[in-house]
Amino acid sequence: MTLLSLLFWLLAGGTLQVLMPAWRHMGQPSFPFVLGVVLYAAMAKKPRYFVAMALLGGILEDSLSLAPLGFSTCAFLVSGGLAVLLRADFFAHKATTVSVFGALCASVSTGVMAALLHARGLVTLTLGGTAWRMAGSAVLGAILVPVLFGLMRGLERRLGVGEEAA
Amino acid sequence: MKDRRWIALCAIGLIVLATLNLPDAASSRVKGAVRDGISPLQAALRGGVRDLREIIRYIRGIGDLALENRALSEELVYLRGEMRIARELERDNRMLRDLLGFVQRFPNQLVSCEVIGRDSTGWWQTVRLDKGAEAGVAEGRAVITPDGLIGRTVAVSGRTADVLLLSDPTCQVSVRLARSGVLGIMQGLGAGPGEQPACRMDYMARTADVQQGDEVVTSGMGGLFPKGLLVGRVARVETDPSGLYQRAWIDIAADLGRAEYAFVAATEADLAAAAKGLIEELTGPSPGTIGGEAP
Repeated sequence: MTLLSLLFWLLAGGTLQVLMPAWRHMGQPSFPFVLGVVLYAAMAKKPRYFVAMALLGGILEDSLSLAPLGFSTCAFLVSGGLAVLLRADFFAHKATTVSVFGALCASVSTGVMAALLHARGLVTLTLGGTAWRMAGSAVLGAILVPVLFGLMRGLERRLGVGEEAA
Repeated sequence: MKDRRWIALCAIGLIVLATLNLPDAASSRVKGAVRDGISPLQAALRGGVRDLREIIRYIRGIGDLALENRALSEELVYLRGEMRIARELERDNRMLRDLLGFVQRFPNQLVSCEVIGRDSTGWWQTVRLDKGAEAGVAEGRAVITPDGLIGRTVAVSGRTADVLLLSDPTCQVSVRLARSGVLGIMQGLGAGPGEQPACRMDYMARTADVQQGDEVVTSGMGGLFPKGLLVGRVARVETDPSGLYQRAWIDIAADLGRAEYAFVAATEADLAAAAKGLIEELTGPSPGTIGGEAP
């Protein structure tokens, strides 16, 4: 049931991410719906769910863009891994904490993606532009991730799926 | 316990490495399958959003009316609502007539498509169309609207096609000025905060006749885009930093951010291949091709 619920959110997140145009300000970052689902799995579920979501979410996000397959998976594993490492020190149910967490992980994910795309020569980036975009991602992550966490938690409560953090 | 963790980490690493190093054909097959799978959901959601926008516009209209004229009777509100619907229909009718006229004017075979999404990561400037190889859309084809060229197809799956917009920095088009015939290369510059996407035409000789307002059309060189498609107009001209060439900033004629419908300029060969694929799908492969060997 947990996996089904996460898969539902992944599909919904992927669809919404494609429908919402990238934010034109602060380096054109996209709304991190898929990353939000991966972070939820990293923060509130067992690590195996996080890994599954990072792999599937990465494939989904890369399929919906021109990025080579596997790039987003790397970005999600790094940022989600950070969440797994830090979650014991954070109070995961508090909106402000989740907001800070979302900002940090969205920013890291954008940074990893920028490094990979630049290394492969697929996009031309400047250091300042990348930093600006990471800041933009942090703003979007700080706003979107707590909302997404609230919605996902609400649905799980209705479905009777318990918290499964390891 | 520690061993199991290491094994899990190694397994994850191997999966990621395998995904990163998938051959191009396998990678595009996976991407195409995911895209085709999600496209009906995308199209439905986009349709829903469009309907919702119409309803909100309609409700807002009634609300304004109520504030301005509280005394108006229910019948009047109803009649105004009817009139608004009639006006919408008239506008749609006019737009469809324009599109039809455009299709009849254009010499290439056009595949009409609906825009169902945008790039999900924001790293590229792309839009997704609801038609793919099954409808005769192939990679590297020009994508146009009645206002002008918007880009070219870059990734095509069975039922969807991604269009790299003119404003993307990786998109280059060989163009010419309609008035003076001056040739140049146009490249996307992306979009600044809150600005319309921009393009720049480079490598024009310093003495070339370029003026503000000149119409920019495709040159047809390179064979990717048909000749003479409207791209935009020259917004301003300046000498490049080396002092050897002129460069011009171009206002793109089509509204890249708001395009809802677009046409892919397919060749006869594309459509024939699509028709062949459809026939094979309906009737099964011909006996001579079973097992992949010719008789």
